Amino acid sequence: MAPHSPATDQIDTLLWVGFIAAAIAVIAINAALFYAVRKYRGQRGSEPRQVSGGRGIQFRVGAVLTVFAALIFVVGVIFTDKARETPSTGSEGLASAKEEPLAIKATGQQWLWRYDYPNGAFSYYKLVVPSDTAVELDLVTTDVVHTWNVPDLAGKRDAVPGKTTKILFSTDDEGSYTGRSATLSGQAYAAMGTEVEVVPAAEYEDYIEQLKADIEEAQARVVGQIESGDVP
Amino acid sequence: MSQKPTPEVAISAGYANRRRPRWVELATSADHKDIGRILIASSLGFLVIALLELLLMRLQLAIPENTFLTPVTFNRMLSNYGATAVFLFAIPLALGLFYYVAPLQVGARGTALPRLGQIGMALFVAGATALYAAFLFTPSEAGVNPLSPLTEVAFLANNGVDAWATATGLATLGFVLIAIDLLTTLRKMRAPGMAWRRVPVFAWAAAVGSWLVLFVGPVLLAALTMLMIDRNYDGIFFADGSGGAPLLWQHLSWIFFTGSYMLILIFAFGAIAEIFATFSGKPLFNRGVVMGSLAAIAVIGTLAWMQNMLTAPIGIGWMYFAMLMSLALIVPFGLIMFNLIATLVGGALRMRAPLLFAIAAISMISIGLAAEISHSMVAAAWHLKNTTDATAATHFALVGGAVFGGFAALYFWFPKMTGRTMGESLARISLWTMVVGILVAFVPLFLAGGEEGQVIDAYKFFSGEGVDAYNLIASIGTLILAIGIVMTVVNAVQSRVGGPVAGHDPWGGDTLEWLALSPPDPHNFDVLPDVRSPRPMRDIRQAIGQRSARDESPARESQPVA
Repeated sequence: MAPHSPATDQIDTLLWVGFIAAAIAVIAINAALFYAVRKYRGQRGSEPRQVSGGRGIQFRVGAVLTVFAALIFVVGVIFTDKARETPSTGSEGLASAKEEPLAIKATGQQWLWRYDYPNGAFSYYKLVVPSDTAVELDLVTTDVVHTWNVPDLAGKRDAVPGKTTKILFSTDDEGSYTGRSATLSGQAYAAMGTEVEVVPAAEYEDYIEQLKADIEEAQARVVGQIESGDVP
Repeated sequence: MSQKPTPEVAISAGYANRRRPRWVELATSADHKDIGRILIASSLGFLVIALLELLLMRLQLAIPENTFLTPVTFNRMLSNYGATAVFLFAIPLALGLFYYVAPLQVGARGTALPRLGQIGMALFVAGATALYAAFLFTPSEAGVNPLSPLTEVAFLANNGVDAWATATGLATLGFVLIAIDLLTTLRKMRAPGMAWRRVPVFAWAAAVGSWLVLFVGPVLLAALTMLMIDRNYDGIFFADGSGGAPLLWQHLSWIFFTGSYMLILIFAFGAIAEIFATFSGKPLFNRGVVMGSLAAIAVIGTLAWMQNMLTAPIGIGWMYFAMLMSLALIVPFGLIMFNLIATLVGGALRMRAPLLFAIAAISMISIGLAAEISHSMVAAAWHLKNTTDATAATHFALVGGAVFGGFAALYFWFPKMTGRTMGESLARISLWTMVVGILVAFVPLFLAGGEEGQVIDAYKFFSGEGVDAYNLIASIGTLILAIGIVMTVVNAVQSRVGGPVAGHDPWGGDTLEWLALSPPDPHNFDVLPDVRSPRPMRDIRQAIGQRSARDESPARESQPVA
C-alpha cells in the first residue's frame, strides 16, 4: 500500500512494526531450532543428560516474552489512537467542513456502493471528495454485510445491517483511489469495488451542484415522459 | 475372508466369537481405538477432498479474470473447502488421535462412556454425509464463515445453507460427545500413581482440548440452531429490523472458530512435545510450564475471538481487549516454543520421520503465529483484515498444526495403531515437497495481501492490480503442497498392510501406550505398572536393565526393551 492520508500513515507504520516483530520472532525461533537440530543430530549411542528444566531461565524467557508483548501492545494502542483521530480541515479545504467533518453517507448494496452528499445529490460507485478536508463516511447497508475498503486513503470498515460505521479521512493528494469490497456478499462480490476521486474544494462544490442539477433534470424528464404518455 | 480358518486357528487368533465381517465389527464397535481409527482414516480422506477443492479454487485464481469456475461454483468450493478442512479434517484428526492415544497413555483399559464416543463418531459421519449429500442438490455458497445476514432466506433461498448448518452442527455435536467421554476417562480412569503432574503432555493436551470443545462446541450449536430457526421458522435472531442482530452471529461463530484454531495448535504442540522428548532421549524441558501454557492458550486464545472483528462496528474498548488477548498469547506460545527447542538441546537426536515432521511443524506454526501479530494490532487490521495476508497467516498456522503436526503424530503413533511402521524414504520426500509447497503457496499471498491489499474469497481478481505473478506462483505452490500431502496419505494406506512390522515400542517411548501391544488388544493392557514418574516406560526399562546387570551380562541403558 501507498499511504496518502494521516490515518493510513499510522496504519503503514503499524504494518512495519508488525513486520519487524514477526521477523524477530520467526528468525529467533527458526535459528534456535536450526542450531539445536544441527548440533545435536546423530549423537547416537550416548545417553543424553536428563535435564528436565530450569527455573531461572524460564523466568528470564517469560520476562522477555512479556516485555515483547507489552511493547507491541503499547505501540499498537498509540498508533491506533493516532489513526482514529478526527482529521482537521485545512485552509485549502471545504469552508463548510471547518467545524464538523464533511459527512457523506455510503450505502452498501449487492453489489454497488451508493454515496449521498449533504446537498441531496447522490452517486453510485464513484465518490468525489474535496482535498484537505476532513471527510466522514457513514457506512450503512441495505442488505448483507459489506466491507468498504480503499487501502491508500482510509483502510476498511464493515457496514453491518442496523448499524452505522464511521470512517474518517482527509488527504492533500488529489487523484483517484480505488478499492474492492472485502467481505463475501454473494455472486458478484468479486466485481464490487469503489473509486474515490479527490479534487480541490471549489471543484467539489461545482461537481455536487452539477450532479444535483443533472439528477433533478433526469427526474423531471422521466415525470414529463410519463405524464405526456410517451412511456407507459 | 475366502477361506474359513480351522477351529484351532480361529480360537487362537480370537476369531471364536466373531461371526460378522470385519467392517461391521469396526463400524459397530464402541472401543475408543476403533472409533479413533475411523476418525483418523476419514479425516485423511477428507483432507484429500479439501485439497481438491482448494486446487480448483487456485486453478481459477491462477490467472486474472479467469472464467474456469462460475462465481457460484467458486463460492460452493470455498464454503465446502472451509467446512471440510475444519470440521471433517482438522478437528476429527486431532480428536481421533486424542481419543485413540490418550486413554492408552494414562493406562486406561477403555473409555468411561464408550457409547457416547460411538454416538459421537456416528454423528460425525452423519455430518460428513450431509455436507457432501448437499452436492446432489445445492451445496452452500455462503463462505467459510457464512456471515449473517447473507445466510438469511432473503439472500440465499436454496437449501445450501441449511445443509451446511446441518452438517457442521451434527459433526460439532459429535465432537462434544467424544470430548465428554475423553474428559471423563482422563479424569477417572488413570492408572495407579498417574497423578495429573505425571500425565503425558499429549494426554494433558487431550484434556485441555476436550474442555475447549466442551465450551466452544455448544456455542456454535446454539448459533446454528438460531440460524435454522431464522431460515425455516421465521426467526429473527440474526435479522436486522425486527430486533435481531447480525453481529451476534459473528460473535458466536468466531468464539467457536477461534477456539478450534487453538484446539488444533494445542493438539499439535502436545504431539510435538511427545515426539521431541522421545527422539531426543530427554524429558520434556520444563514440563509443568508447557502444560500450564497449553491451558493458558485455550483460555486466552478463545477470549481473543474479537480479533476477527476489528473492522466491525464494535466499541474501540472491545478492539483493544481483543488485541490485548491476542498479544498476551505471545507469552504461552513463546514459552512452549522455547521449552520444545530446549528439549532438543543436549539430546541425541534420531532424525526419523516423526521428528522431521515435528520440526517442520514448529517452523511453519512460528511463521503463521508471528504473522498474526500484525493482524492483532487494531489499526494494522484495518488494512490487513480479509486480505490474502490473513489467508496466508491462517494457513501457515493451521496447515503447520493440523497437517505437519498431524502427520508428525500420524508417523509417530501409526506403528501403535497398525503394528507397522510407515515408509521412511517416502516420508522424507513428502516432507520436503510439503515444505517447498507451503512456502511457495503462501508467501506470495502474504505479499499480495499485505502489499497490494488483494481481498479474500473473490472468485476472480483483475489484471493491473499488481497481483498476477503472486497468484500464479501461489497456485503452483498449492499444487506442490497437495502432491506432498498426498504422498503421506499414500504412504499411510500402503504401510497399513505392507509396512515393516513394528514391535510394541518402536521408538523407545517413555509413556504407557508403548507398553501395550501394537495394535493393542481390545482391553489395552494385560498388566499395568504402578506409575512413579512421568516416564513409566523408562522406569521399566531401567529396572529390567538393572536386573539383567545383576543377573546376566550388562545391557545398554539406552537400548529400548523389545
